[in-house]
Amino acid sequence: MANTVIGSGIVIDGEISGEEALTILGTVKGKVAVTQDVLIEPGASVEADVEGQTVTVSGKLTGNVNAHAKLELRPDSKMVGNAKSPRIVIADGASFKGNVDMDG
Amino acid sequence: MATDKATTLIGPGTHISGEIRGDEDLVVKGSVDGKIQLSGTLTIDKGALVQADLDVRALVVSGTVVGSIAAAESVRLLPSARIVGDLATPRIVMEAGAAYRGRVDMGDVEVAAAAAARAAVAQPVASATEVKPRPAPPRMAPPPKAAQLSGRPDKPISTSPAPSRADSHSLAVEPTRSAPPAFPRVTGAMGGSAPAWAKKKIRRR
Repeated sequence: MANTVIGSGIVIDGEISGEEALTILGTVKGKVAVTQDVLIEPGASVEADVEGQTVTVSGKLTGNVNAHAKLELRPDSKMVGNAKSPRIVIADGASFKGNVDMDG
Repeated sequence: MATDKATTLIGPGTHISGEIRGDEDLVVKGSVDGKIQLSGTLTIDKGALVQADLDVRALVVSGTVVGSIAAAESVRLLPSARIVGDLATPRIVMEAGAAYRGRVDMGDVEVAAAAAARAAVAQPVASATEVKPRPAPPRMAPPPKAAQLSGRPDKPISTSPAPSRADSHSLAVEPTRSAPPAFPRVTGAMGGSAPAWAKKKIRRR
């Protein structure tokens, strides 16, 4: 499946929306709203509100997250912002600052 | 997933509005609104819609582009490409079937130098007559051909039959196939002299 990949040498300033999985290795500023999973890889830098099904953070994320299924903060990830998701996983070594909302 | 390789892909179900910058190759299968600035190759696939100003090193288009284009190296328009906008690049390849409307700027084209060189060669031979140099200017800027070219984006095929079909092409954004109708015109121009092999050769492209 041809999902979307933002490579490490790419900077996007604006809004990303869509109906397929999104993998970010580069830099994204603005807003991300997809109906599938969002993967923020190590080395990636995201300064955006992120909405997705399962949001997995291994890189750096500044912004609010709304994950409809699950939010996962992997070791060495860094997140600043509010997290809204019914299931939240924060791994040992992850850094997180913000509010957590696990309502429905 | 082979995501380690630095190749960015904007999938068919993804829309990006804003600015994309980068120093790697980018493939667009979805849609982009805004601006793309790349020091790599930008590939706009079939089915993709890009409404953006492009500033890239190399560009390969088989989708639809609306916006002004600047490519430092080259531009390649494949048969399904639909483009509206000005184009500035030193090298262009446009394949049969591609639809384009806009202005092309290939930088300094050395017409004057070529004309001077030609005149220098021609003059010693026919120095006495002033008639000889005359035919050169119309050859460089033929007005009837220019008129035909400007009419082409609206009507890619200038054959008299099927006027309704020509009308359907007036909106260049509609990704209709215009390659097949273009071929009969070429074979028709060849006449009956060598049709069989000529047709085959053209179809193979």
